[in-house]
Amino acid sequence: MSDVNLDNISRFVNELIKKGFDDVAAKVEVVDSVMTKIANSSVSIVQNWKRTIVDLYLAKNRRIFVLHFEPKSFKDLQKHVDSVISLADRVTESPIYAPLPEPSKVRYVEEVIDKRVIEAANNMNSIAERVIEAAHRENIESVAGMMQVGYNEIILSSSKGALLEEKKTFVQGYLRAFAQPDGSGQWCYTSTTLDLSGLESMAFTASRYAVDSRNRSEIEPGVYDVILSPMVFANLLEYITSMASAMSVIMGWSMFMKNRPGDVVASQLLTLQDEPRNTELPNFRSFDDEGVETCNKLVIEGGVLRTLLHNTKTAKYMNTTTTANAGWINPVPWNIVVRPGSATLDEMVSEVRRGLFITNNWYTRLQNYVEGMFSTVARDAIFYIENGKIVKPVTKIRIADKLGNILKNVAIVGRELYNIQWWEVGIPMKTPYILVKSINISKHTI
Amino acid sequence: MLEDLLLYALNVASELGAGYAEARYHKVDSMGFMSRNGVLISAFSEVSEGIGIRVLVEGSLGFASTNIIDKENIRKVVEIAVSRARAHAKLLKKSIEFSEARLGRARYIVVPVKDFANLSLEDKVSIHREFWERVSKGSVREAKIPVTTLSYNEWTEEKIVMNTDGAFISSIVPRLSIHYNIVVHHPQRGYAQRFESFGATGGLEWLERWRLIESGEEEAKTLEKVLLEGVEPPRDPVPVIVGSEIVALMVHESCGHPSEADRILGREAAQAGKSFIKPNMLGQRIGNEYATVIDDPTIPGSYGFYLYDDEGVAARARYLYKEGIINEFLHNRATAGIFGVESNAAARAMDYASEPIIRMANTYLKPGNYSFEELLEGIKLGVYMKSYMEWNIDDERWSQRYVGLESYLIENGELTKPIRNPVLEITTKAFYSNIDAVGKELRFYAGTCGKGEPSQGVPVWFGGPDVRLKSIRLGIAL
Repeated sequence: MSDVNLDNISRFVNELIKKGFDDVAAKVEVVDSVMTKIANSSVSIVQNWKRTIVDLYLAKNRRIFVLHFEPKSFKDLQKHVDSVISLADRVTESPIYAPLPEPSKVRYVEEVIDKRVIEAANNMNSIAERVIEAAHRENIESVAGMMQVGYNEIILSSSKGALLEEKKTFVQGYLRAFAQPDGSGQWCYTSTTLDLSGLESMAFTASRYAVDSRNRSEIEPGVYDVILSPMVFANLLEYITSMASAMSVIMGWSMFMKNRPGDVVASQLLTLQDEPRNTELPNFRSFDDEGVETCNKLVIEGGVLRTLLHNTKTAKYMNTTTTANAGWINPVPWNIVVRPGSATLDEMVSEVRRGLFITNNWYTRLQNYVEGMFSTVARDAIFYIENGKIVKPVTKIRIADKLGNILKNVAIVGRELYNIQWWEVGIPMKTPYILVKSINISKHTI
Repeated sequence: MLEDLLLYALNVASELGAGYAEARYHKVDSMGFMSRNGVLISAFSEVSEGIGIRVLVEGSLGFASTNIIDKENIRKVVEIAVSRARAHAKLLKKSIEFSEARLGRARYIVVPVKDFANLSLEDKVSIHREFWERVSKGSVREAKIPVTTLSYNEWTEEKIVMNTDGAFISSIVPRLSIHYNIVVHHPQRGYAQRFESFGATGGLEWLERWRLIESGEEEAKTLEKVLLEGVEPPRDPVPVIVGSEIVALMVHESCGHPSEADRILGREAAQAGKSFIKPNMLGQRIGNEYATVIDDPTIPGSYGFYLYDDEGVAARARYLYKEGIINEFLHNRATAGIFGVESNAAARAMDYASEPIIRMANTYLKPGNYSFEELLEGIKLGVYMKSYMEWNIDDERWSQRYVGLESYLIENGELTKPIRNPVLEITTKAFYSNIDAVGKELRFYAGTCGKGEPSQGVPVWFGGPDVRLKSIRLGIAL
């Protein structure tokens, strides 16, 4: 779209109101990014995107329509919108309808546009070369992964008069290293600014775990105390914080269906916050999709569920107030940050009599969202711990337990936070190593 | 004309020095409704439309896309794709090359038996209401159903694929998909839950075949029975009849994915992982004579249907495992070149902004000749696992886990008590080696398969008959 600017978007929203809608919001997102994908320590593809995405929220007589387009121009959208008008009175009222909120003053977080990120788009080959080289300083066979840099701009206009704009840059990457005969390690990095040392550190960690996890053996399934790396904890928190969305509760997709704010849902050591105003993480936002100023908020504080995540619709449905996490239909977590504890990883290991240290996982699936029954496959470097010492690398196990048990059995929280976002963790997070007592570990029986 | 613009993109790429270029117009137009307890939460409509361009420059692969379909913009994105691919060429350990292929020049359209317009909007909305009323009120006795959700989605995928090697493929494929979620609650016995998905190529004719509302009623009844009467599975190894729904997923996960040649070569190693199958394992045994798994994009009506892939290669059935032997990999033109074979047309992209990568289409275990009663016959004590919710598999596709949802004890050849949360946790080789009887009824199930970076979800069917495993120790989920 060549006609994206505040005036045009505002005009477009006003025209839709004249067509008979009660509420209109338009969100235009411009993304310009480059991704270098790596396999076998070589480049498998360079992908480039320049996209303009238009999302529309339309409501008429309490009926709700959500539209998603990638049009050439606003004019190009008209025929789609006109087709919705003809449907407007033929569908039924939405039980979650609430008028869009009146605009209030939005205090912006400090804009993060790192020119080095924008320049890096034409220089990804040298960044990739540097990261691959860093990984190969260890005695590894190869690395795979990706590095992506980009620019993102969001413009929001609502029929209540909100007209807001935010720009940012982002950097993401992850690397998986392989060491003969069977070692592998994976780590990731995410930020809003270009920090090559962060990407190099990612490479070092992946390679170190690959080397350390060679010559794996098998262990028996059973109950173990388990240290979860920031990667693993972030993956589980992705499910847990998504289930803290009020819409997940309403739709029966949440372990918090059985809870109310104020309930104890986790160990008192665990405090986690949704931080849209943390500009170190790429999902920072000064306003949500309803134009409400965002705020950092405690989701779980000292083990107590403090709030679900709301937009104005779910808030009205549940008789509370928005937490500025819209999503027009689904409230979403922005950036999740765990409050650090005081332990180092070594101190945590020394506390374990018989346990495991799992550095990565994937393929988390639930038998039952309401009960939180799940399993996830432990992947890459996994270590068996005995009497406070790492004894040997192990393989082919999974965590099979309840998410509620994981939260309640947190015994030690690490003091250092890591920026986590990768293929298995979509929500940017800052998470520590944690020790969880008595986790059920399963493996194949034949 | 779109074709002229695609040709223009190819010409620009060639002028700029690309050894190969491919331009794909790709539009996905969808609409639908999401409801909770029979009432619409919202209606939705999505249109994704644009051009994806892939180039090979000095052996380096580049991709760029745009949704502004005019010459000026197309030239810009081709320039970006070419220049950035060229800049990365020096990092290549080995140049990427595409194999020779029999490329098509064809147009095809799937015509629905019943067009989406044949049902009024009001009737489509009423499906949601009827589903809730029938499922919540008529199906459970002691338990309650606090929530059902239903999502109805009709969508059409339109593509034109052209490349500098001469391919021209134009296609229009409509699809229908429906997903529901039922939560059953009993104050003393807790919660049980079922997600179910239906999907196919075609139109509203599928609504009758799926018996959506009856399916919901039956599932709710089953969930209540499992909650109220479910017992633990036997602790000792027993014969297990794995229901076709689980078999279908197993062949997708433990045959289809590890047979993807890009995985085998390490291209997805940091994302969806590698494969236990190594490049030199064609011809090696992975199971017994019952282990024949086929992936066929050309099944009429299938959710993963296509006749030509996104590189313009004609589709055909692929025999991945044949009578227990690793027989064939899924290829695009790049991997086919490395293995010295012809592409078997597995390249697909989710939308215009995605690169074509190797995907399954419709993967299934070849049926045998047993009736269900014959599978049960002679089992003194065993387990029948009919459906699942939780599953996963390691990233080499070797160690996998499926947790039964609807499952029964088999006693003296008959299904008796329901079993709660039995766990089949088994290696790929153990599964394909322990089949001792295969049912004759082949059934297919719809899913969205995820792979790639950025992750691409594409429609697939997976299928299979019921199969009997000799003797397996089951676990129980907490």
